[in-house]
Amino acid sequence: MKVQYKAKRNLLQTILQVEILQGLALTLRKLFSRPITRQYPDEKPPMYAGFRGQHALVRDPLTNASKCIGCMRCATVCPSRCIHIKTHPGDSGQRLIDQYAIDVLRCVFCGYCVEVCPVGAITMTEVFEYASYDREAIYFDQEILLANWDRFLEQTGYDDTYVNPFWRPRGTLESRLAAAMRRDVPADWTIEGQFVGTKVRQPPASKPITDTEAAHA
Amino acid sequence: MQILILLLQIAMVMAIVLLHVAYLTYFERKIIGHMQVRMGPMRVGWHGLLQPIADGIKSFFKEDIIPQQADKPLFLAAPIICLVTMLAALAVLPFAEGWVLADINIGLLFIFAMSSLASYGIILAGWASNSKYTFLGGMRSMAQVISYEIPMGLSLVGVMMLSGSLNLSEIVAAQGTSIFSIYLFPQIIGFFVFFIAMLAETNRVPFDLPEAETELVSGYITEYSGMRYAMFFMAEYIGMMILASIGTVCFLGGWNGPFVIPFFPPFWFILKVYGFLFVFIWIRATLPRYRYDQLMAIGWKLLIPLALLNIFLTGLFKALVH
Ligand code: SF4
Ligand code: SF4
Repeated sequence: MKVQYKAKRNLLQTILQVEILQGLALTLRKLFSRPITRQYPDEKPPMYAGFRGQHALVRDPLTNASKCIGCMRCATVCPSRCIHIKTHPGDSGQRLIDQYAIDVLRCVFCGYCVEVCPVGAITMTEVFEYASYDREAIYFDQEILLANWDRFLEQTGYDDTYVNPFWRPRGTLESRLAAAMRRDVPADWTIEGQFVGTKVRQPPASKPITDTEAAHA
Repeated sequence: MQILILLLQIAMVMAIVLLHVAYLTYFERKIIGHMQVRMGPMRVGWHGLLQPIADGIKSFFKEDIIPQQADKPLFLAAPIICLVTMLAALAVLPFAEGWVLADINIGLLFIFAMSSLASYGIILAGWASNSKYTFLGGMRSMAQVISYEIPMGLSLVGVMMLSGSLNLSEIVAAQGTSIFSIYLFPQIIGFFVFFIAMLAETNRVPFDLPEAETELVSGYITEYSGMRYAMFFMAEYIGMMILASIGTVCFLGGWNGPFVIPFFPPFWFILKVYGFLFVFIWIRATLPRYRYDQLMAIGWKLLIPLALLNIFLTGLFKALVH
């Protein structure tokens, strides 16, 4: 590696301390530039898809209750062990949820619970302003989590077609997703809309793309 | 009656200066903010205009903590020494023709004496708090003030030689009213030395080693809180204004300007002082801190020889002209 040293100062530059003057000129120029500050409580930051904010349980429009099937995957994957689920077997062998609670104060907002859920029951919303003066208010049980979802839809104007990028990472094949996750997404989330390297990966016109081809492409 | 008028004048000067201190902190935060592409205080009042008042009220009501192991009398006295000496130095500043509280013949010396006394406050604060950070801060301040008092005094010797007086009003008068007769031009070396020594004397960046946050928490004021902390703060800012005034008086022609402003003679004086203060803040927003040995080297190996050279040249010039 070749080290690029700065040219040595000549005597005049040393006397005038040109570097200091350059620095002063820079700060003076910046004095008249536009500040980039966002006045936070007045001006909200823009939220991007995939923001990992407050948790919510999706309310199923058919049953008007949580979609959760009590599979325990989220509780198992959670690295901070902050999802607490209790179930009991129902008549036909299905699991019925007694308790579903997230201790958000211990959550590290990794989003694994959202990714792993097979039915898209849990999600992370774009809400981040839910600080509170007492701990109980940040211990979310099922009712609160469902209410979070309702409030999120109401505030942001999304409806049930909202798709969290963690449920369906961009560019995944439909066939690789659990049935409940196969939902309509914007074109740039589909495998056809993804950029691989510098080229757009185009599916062959005649036959549909398969898993093995996608893996080799 | 005379005394009553004088007391009134003193009260006025103090009020104005303290108001300036408050708003100097505001402008410092604003200017540095904008130089760093931020906004500075924005929330208290319109564009944060009431921020200094809020800060003042806050520090007034803060708990006054005195460390258990501190040397209590000295700990309590130190901020007062700092502030009182700085305020006393205000007395001899000529704001305009005849606008001076005490027009004494040794004005310049008096200010030097007072600013040296103020550094006792700093050293005592460092010593009395009984903490290593404050002690290191106090030690550094002592060494720094001693090293820079000398070049500063020497740099002004040239001015004294040219004007033949230590009285600040007479120094201004000796510079005449023309912009070309101010001492900045014949004393350019002296001004350079004075300016750097001025930054060091007021413990400002890039010579803010006594309160270097990154190394010493807050230097000699680490253990102070509430109003006592604010007193050190005020002393520092008054010190800045006093040295800016000295610079104005000795090198920039004091209250004289291109034309006379009716009804408000100190206009040009104040404008020049503001200019100095802006440069103070501007430098703070730009430069990193010097290393301690560099600070000492600049003081002893660069500024003192330069100041002596300046005295020699001034003397030579005077001898040749006459
Ligand atoms: S985001 Fe991560 S830490 Fe938080 S609940 Fe989900 S899995 Fe656990
Ligand atoms: S992974 Fe989904 S369905 Fe399974 S327990 Fe968690 S939220 Fe319920």
